[in-house]
Amino acid sequence: MIGFLVRRLLQAVAVLFIVTIMVFILIHRLPGGPARAELGVQATPTAIASFNQQHGFDKGLWTQYWTWLAELVRGDLGYSFKENSTVSALLVDRLPKTALLAGVSVLVAVLFAIPLGVVQALRRNTIVDYMFTAVTFVLYSTPSFWLSLILVLVFSVNLGLLPAQAPQGSIGAVLSQPSGLVLPVATIALISVALYSRYMRSSTIDNLTQDYVRTARAKGAATSRILFGHVLRNAVSPVLTLLGLSLPFILSGTLITERVFNYPGMGLLFYNAAVTQDYPVLLAVTLIVAVATVVGSVFADICYALLDPRVRYAHA
Amino acid sequence: MAAILEISDLVVDIRSGRSTVRAVDGISLTIEPGRTLGLVGESGCGKSTTGLAVLGLLPAGGKVTSGSIRIDGQDIVGLREAEARAIRGRTVGVVFQDPMTALNPTQRIGAQVAEPLLIHGMANRSSAMKQAVDLLGEVGLSRPAAQAQRFPHELSGGMRQRVMIALALICGPKLLVADEPTTALDVTTQDQILQLFDSLQQSRDMSILLITHDMGVVAGHTDEVAVMYAGRLAEHAATPRLFGGYRHRYTEALLESIPTLDTPRGQRLATIAGLPPNLGGQLAPCRFAPRCAHAAKVCFDAEPSWSEQHSHGYACHLPRRIDTDPITEIAGAPS
Repeated sequence: MIGFLVRRLLQAVAVLFIVTIMVFILIHRLPGGPARAELGVQATPTAIASFNQQHGFDKGLWTQYWTWLAELVRGDLGYSFKENSTVSALLVDRLPKTALLAGVSVLVAVLFAIPLGVVQALRRNTIVDYMFTAVTFVLYSTPSFWLSLILVLVFSVNLGLLPAQAPQGSIGAVLSQPSGLVLPVATIALISVALYSRYMRSSTIDNLTQDYVRTARAKGAATSRILFGHVLRNAVSPVLTLLGLSLPFILSGTLITERVFNYPGMGLLFYNAAVTQDYPVLLAVTLIVAVATVVGSVFADICYALLDPRVRYAHA
Repeated sequence: MAAILEISDLVVDIRSGRSTVRAVDGISLTIEPGRTLGLVGESGCGKSTTGLAVLGLLPAGGKVTSGSIRIDGQDIVGLREAEARAIRGRTVGVVFQDPMTALNPTQRIGAQVAEPLLIHGMANRSSAMKQAVDLLGEVGLSRPAAQAQRFPHELSGGMRQRVMIALALICGPKLLVADEPTTALDVTTQDQILQLFDSLQQSRDMSILLITHDMGVVAGHTDEVAVMYAGRLAEHAATPRLFGGYRHRYTEALLESIPTLDTPRGQRLATIAGLPPNLGGQLAPCRFAPRCAHAAKVCFDAEPSWSEQHSHGYACHLPRRIDTDPITEIAGAPS
């Protein structure tokens, strides 16, 4: 297990290197640049040159990357001149809020998806199954900005039940107004339910036809006991794997959703940074997402190992 | 003494899509307490379906169309699901063919063996675990308390089959259905498992329905043999009598296809030509006739009737001739 984790960690570091280099190149190739974004379209070439010199943007790309990397190792993610704050401080404020939104959304999605998948598996190829499949697929294919706008229209504008804007301020403020979280969470959860329920459905069907289920029947076990005592644990492991792997998908979902609901998380931060070409913020958020992706897949492997003893021993 | 298992005129239909296959067509069998019946035949002859019908575990689309299955006096055909569950695992235990897949891969074996006791409310958790460990020792696992904590994949095939046997026996069933219990095992392990069946049967006084395609297994470990072909009984007799004086040409063909040590080198092994018929299609009046080396016109004209003497029954127009009947005295066939 330890050797396995060390190997995964080394792979992760390599992946992060490549990701940051690619992002670095891409954002520096964008037309405009931070000086233009900061000083405005009226800025004189002299002003831009002095801005670039002041912030080191006149240096070669590799020099800039190297500087960024060296500072990163020291724990310094840079300074956002747009937000007028260190990037670290920004992330400390924003990251927990996005983690909260993504975490709650995924939790809600999975809590719906697992029973849904099981019900579909038990009623497979019946009208119930087809109906749920249709509904979840329509939701899965819906763009999140559209779904969130529809939800706002129905629940905020027409029914007046829920706020259209997420609570502002620190994470404490966000938590103190849970009603503001309902629509953003609903948006992400509704869209991703199909992702998990499909897996749960096919994995449950697969397990129900296994010999060990016949053994359980031969013991005299009732369907509920077979389901909860035997099938569920075996069937849920692929879903948990998927959970880890779907982390990037969820984070990109929060990006759009945060923008629509003006939720002050990392997604909104990233959106604004992209518009203003705020390099340090863009790089830091990309790095965070890359880390989350790698951590997600390691998490998936560990979950699998915990649930399935065969995997545990294979990696030992 | 009342029979433990009494199958009368059992007909099982299996529907898949629009077509229906009569997998079992009018079988009658009886097993007395403490006896073993071997049910023999090629793949697809309905022997496993008969076993599953006894357990009430027919696959989707399978249904007992007529006849009765009495287990310890109670007809299980048409029982409600809850009533059938009360019998499964408690009065009837089962050992399946493949021990590699028959156990739950993510549950420790002790818990799996103990589960039937909990299902049938026969013990609390700690007592069930204790009984499971004891029984694991009885079926031949060394250090059973430690083994009970292991997962199935940590055990060999033979050991897993022992676990399956313990699981089948934990509630003290009166009948054990063993469906090809040794087919997936290597030969030495096969013999150990069969000997385990014999000794467990003696110590527990239970009846066994041993389903197998292997005449060798049947010869040493059963009291009676029923030979099935294409959903019907071909021949049925006490084991010594059947091996000494088999009459049905299908039984003959099965026995001739077993290699023996005195088969001359280089001689080709006898086989039965062709495959068992598709039960969904047209069947000859004698279902074995198309593959039978002795078949004559009569076999394709009329269905052979069941003739029975000294508890030895068969359905064949042109049975194998036996000059004397030396087995009758020692057979001790149950009536």
